[in-house]
Amino acid sequence: MASIGQIVQQTSGSEVLSRAQARAALVPDCMVEAKRIANTVIAGWHGRRKRGIGENFWQFRPYAEGENFAAIDWRRSARDDHTYVRDREWEAAHTVWLWADLSPSMMYKSTFGSVSKESRALVLMLALAEILARSGERIGCPGVMEPVSSRNAAERLATAIMHAPQTSGMPDTAMIRGNSDIVLIGDFLDEADRIMERIAPLARRGMRGHVVEVADPAEETFPYTGRTEFTDPETGEKLVSGRAETVREEYRRAYLLRRETLGEALRRLGWSFAFHRTDHLASEALVAVHGYLSGMPVTGYGGRS
Amino acid sequence: MSAFAFASPAVLLGLLALPIIWWLLRLTPPRPKTEVFPPLRILATVLKREETPAQSPWWLTLLRMALAAAIILAIANPVMNPRANSLNTAGPLVLVIDNSWATAPDWDRRVRTAEALIGDAEDAGIPVSIVFTAETSYGAIPGSAAAAREKLAAARPEPLVPDRQRAAAAVTEALNGTQPGSLVLLTDGISGASDEAALASLSSLAPAEMRIIEGDGAGTVALSGAVNNADSMSVMATRLNTASAQSLSVNAVDTQGRSLASGTLSFSPGSGAATAEISAPFELRNDFARLQIADRATAGSVRLLDDGFKRRRVALIAGDSGSDFQPLLQPLYYISRALQPYADLIEPTTADLAVSIPQILQSNPSAMVMADVGRLPAEVYEPLEQWISRGGTLIRFAGPRLAAAPADDPLVPVVLRQGERALGGAMSWSDPQSLAPFPPTGPFNGLPPADDITIARQVLAEPTPDLAERTWASLEDGTPLVTTREQENGRIVLFHTSAEATWSNMPLSGTFVEMLRRLVQMARAGGAASAANGAEGAAVLPPYRLLTADGSLTTETGIAKPIAIEAGETPVAAFDHPPGLYGTEDGFTAVNLLAPGTELQPFDASAADMNVAREGLIGEEARSLRPFLFAAAFALILLDSLIVLFMNGAFSRLPRPSQSATAGIAAIAALTLVLQPGLSQAQDAKAGDEVIMDRLDTTHLAYVVTGEDEVDRISEQGLQGLTQFLTYRTTLEPGEPVGVDIATDELSFYPIIYWPISADAPMPSPAAISRIDAYMRNGGTVLFDTRDQFSSLDNSGATTPNGERLQAILANIDIPPLEPTPEDHVLARSFYLLNDFPGRYAGSPLWVEARQEATQSGSELSSSGDGVTPLLITANDFAGAWAIDAQGSPVLPTVPSDAMQREYAYRAGVNIMMYMLTGNYKADQVHVPALLERLGQ
Repeated sequence: MASIGQIVQQTSGSEVLSRAQARAALVPDCMVEAKRIANTVIAGWHGRRKRGIGENFWQFRPYAEGENFAAIDWRRSARDDHTYVRDREWEAAHTVWLWADLSPSMMYKSTFGSVSKESRALVLMLALAEILARSGERIGCPGVMEPVSSRNAAERLATAIMHAPQTSGMPDTAMIRGNSDIVLIGDFLDEADRIMERIAPLARRGMRGHVVEVADPAEETFPYTGRTEFTDPETGEKLVSGRAETVREEYRRAYLLRRETLGEALRRLGWSFAFHRTDHLASEALVAVHGYLSGMPVTGYGGRS
Repeated sequence: MSAFAFASPAVLLGLLALPIIWWLLRLTPPRPKTEVFPPLRILATVLKREETPAQSPWWLTLLRMALAAAIILAIANPVMNPRANSLNTAGPLVLVIDNSWATAPDWDRRVRTAEALIGDAEDAGIPVSIVFTAETSYGAIPGSAAAAREKLAAARPEPLVPDRQRAAAAVTEALNGTQPGSLVLLTDGISGASDEAALASLSSLAPAEMRIIEGDGAGTVALSGAVNNADSMSVMATRLNTASAQSLSVNAVDTQGRSLASGTLSFSPGSGAATAEISAPFELRNDFARLQIADRATAGSVRLLDDGFKRRRVALIAGDSGSDFQPLLQPLYYISRALQPYADLIEPTTADLAVSIPQILQSNPSAMVMADVGRLPAEVYEPLEQWISRGGTLIRFAGPRLAAAPADDPLVPVVLRQGERALGGAMSWSDPQSLAPFPPTGPFNGLPPADDITIARQVLAEPTPDLAERTWASLEDGTPLVTTREQENGRIVLFHTSAEATWSNMPLSGTFVEMLRRLVQMARAGGAASAANGAEGAAVLPPYRLLTADGSLTTETGIAKPIAIEAGETPVAAFDHPPGLYGTEDGFTAVNLLAPGTELQPFDASAADMNVAREGLIGEEARSLRPFLFAAAFALILLDSLIVLFMNGAFSRLPRPSQSATAGIAAIAALTLVLQPGLSQAQDAKAGDEVIMDRLDTTHLAYVVTGEDEVDRISEQGLQGLTQFLTYRTTLEPGEPVGVDIATDELSFYPIIYWPISADAPMPSPAAISRIDAYMRNGGTVLFDTRDQFSSLDNSGATTPNGERLQAILANIDIPPLEPTPEDHVLARSFYLLNDFPGRYAGSPLWVEARQEATQSGSELSSSGDGVTPLLITANDFAGAWAIDAQGSPVLPTVPSDAMQREYAYRAGVNIMMYMLTGNYKADQVHVPALLERLGQ
């Protein structure tokens, strides 16, 4: 009797890339609405709704003593007796950190899901990278790649992931500085408290986060029956259930409770939380995350919480 | 007797545990499925540590229940055919065991039955008294079970009839008043003469229980007699169990144990006797040594035959020795012609009856034929009468001398009138008489009426009141033709006509032959034995061959004592005289187990005046079913293990059939690829190539393997010697000599083949000779050596056996004309200059093909052989002279012993080899001067 779940091989970066680009084509360009203006401003396309260095017109204001004469807009000043200075909107690129959990538990795939969780997570991450890079955002991956602002950021991210050592657990956030957005994609099967212990410091540093939980259908529906021995792929711990079907309801309650707890805690931090099952389309999750990033949450998707 | 029981029934209580086992088996969980499950921590929070057992499939539970039940049953040790133990322990166990002839087939079962009883007695701690009824001595004193077992093991069935009375007496004496507990008679089931007395004395011991154990007697069949009839042998048989119809075959076996003829015994239901007819020619019946029932190996199923069934020895005495010039008129001519096929004939060495008759009597004839003997010397009458009294048969023929003899001859059966009666003829009114039908009482009863016989003259008997009953044949008018008189054990028969064809044409008819044959057959052969001991009347014969209980003969005579056999009495076996052959190799008497006409009757226990329990032998050994149950349990365990393995998916990892097939094909393909280079390289090589290359590289001397080891060895050593000589003296360095099988081996590698002719060797097949012919046609040369120059000592030129064999071999070969080697033949000068070609012997010419200029014949052989003769024939034994052993010294001496002759033999060999290899090149050397001259030099 074949087992329901199995550990699949790590999805290779190049394959993931092609699939990610296909996914990215499904989604319209995304402009991340910057909520806050970071101190480290580098020219970008996003207007920061304030006066500063930029290309788009922002306002005319009267010339004040001591300002550079070059700043005076002579065409406007000629229309009346005052001298005006043309202010431009401050435009700055946003840094978005993308992170996918690549631990062994993510390599799980059941007969009900179409791909493994890792594969789906990578697809989501690279699709986001593609979308954001097209929007001119700076893409980084904590512990793997410094933020880059490049049109081919998704390719570079994929290359970096290919060469990155196998990691597990939460990302190394040492290289994250300043305010930025972070997207965490994983299964988040640890206890909610432990996850929050890692996430809360990031939030306190002012980062805005989006958490996408990728789950296999088998993990959610618990379709096991009969005497079954369960193995944890990360710790190798074994657990024998005499009659698995008897604990199905209890397990589902515990599982959903964990999700609720996690979502609630994140929402308290001001972070968003979405979950995604591997038997659904990856674009659904992408749309949801995109919505969160652009400040327009998509309603009706199961991942809302 | 119940056929099934448990040795330890208490264990069966274990079956009560089966429901518990069933419950436990249901609870034993199967091996879990293994699942990878990442959210294990979540599951761990909800999963209680309860091992809720899953239910095993009901059939698996059932299988395990059967397993447990089988083991419990096996431990309980069920036994088939168990034996009841119900010995009375009030006193010693008395076992009276028949070990007679009838117990031989099932002796093992009897021993087991007795052993079981002894074992019971041992368990009960009572002594055992054991006696065997066919033994001569009884040790019936009750002893330990172990001693009884020893006695039982030592006992064997004897080819005797049991003597139960003696056994009973021995038991009575041994017990000495002790009251036995169980008295068990293990009988062969055959009633004996002394049964009543035996049972009476046994029941007078007042045993607590008397039990009779007997077999079913189905196999107890005995031959009770055999009679040699005119044209067949009747074999009487009797059996014990008359319940059903039975058909057995009786084989007649000769002294070598070969079956000569057989008959069929057909017992009808309810009948205990049957007769088989073994039809065989008289000559064949003479060779019967014994009769035995097929597939029955007891002393009773064998009937030994002795000289009584053999050819009769008949002495022929004529009154007139006659003349050799007129054999047809000699009185004994027709008699000897008639009796020759049926009897051994003795003729007197001298015509003097006073000498010849005592001589003849010494050789113990069964019958004596006197043809026209009128008056015997007075001193022979008494021995003759004694011989007749002991069983001899005297057959007399009338004739002129008898007719003229005085009437007081004691050796005629009837009183004869003087003179003869002539019927027919010129001076008579009457016609020659023919024979009346044979009376039904005589031995001639049943002969076809002989209408063609006419009697012209006869002697007449004085009429007496008993003449009619003494008459075995008479003429149509009632005058006796053959009369007889019994004299004690013997008989005198008189033919009232002559033995030659002068008085009647009876000697010319087939009826005469048949009459004589029947008369001789009637004659007792046993008279011979008694005659050897003169007038004592009873002969004492030592045992010669004894019958064993299983019906075979043994030379071991053991305790058998010489038997005294009264003349005319059929001896019967007894304790001192077990059945067998008594006498010597030259003449013996058969002593058979059963007297003729014996009938086997079932053992009757009614004479015992007490309650007798009857039971059968224990059947097959009480068979324990334990091994089978354990085997079944083991098989169930294996099955269960397989099922569990299967349920746990141990076989799901096996490759799919299609995959395995693919893998197999791939493996075969890979193997083929691996092997392919080797195959492709070896394709043009054949087995035996190395041998062929070796033969071609070096010249080998070859000899024909005749199949006679000594000849082949000498050939091998001889060619070895010649090879060495050649290597030493010439530039030719031959390889090791090769023995060739002309029927199979390739011959064309050898320039010459040496063929020692041996009449003792098997004749080569025509195909092999044909191959030799082809070899010679293709230029090969065969050196035939008959090796018998001095075998025909007289110089008569008679062909020796080897020469005959050579002629036989060459008979089908197209050989050219031959001549002895001429002086100027190349053979004589090809290396050495030789005058002759000696081998071990000198003197035989070496025959070669006659040269063309000598014969003027255009033989194909010579042309293909380049002038080399295709065959050489000698009788000088070349190989014998050449032969050397491993040390290089000669094996055989030359004849005469002469070192120079051996040297010349080697030189002859060298010349022959040179001639073979060079052909006419050497001959051309003769013409060198002429050639040079022709070249203009």
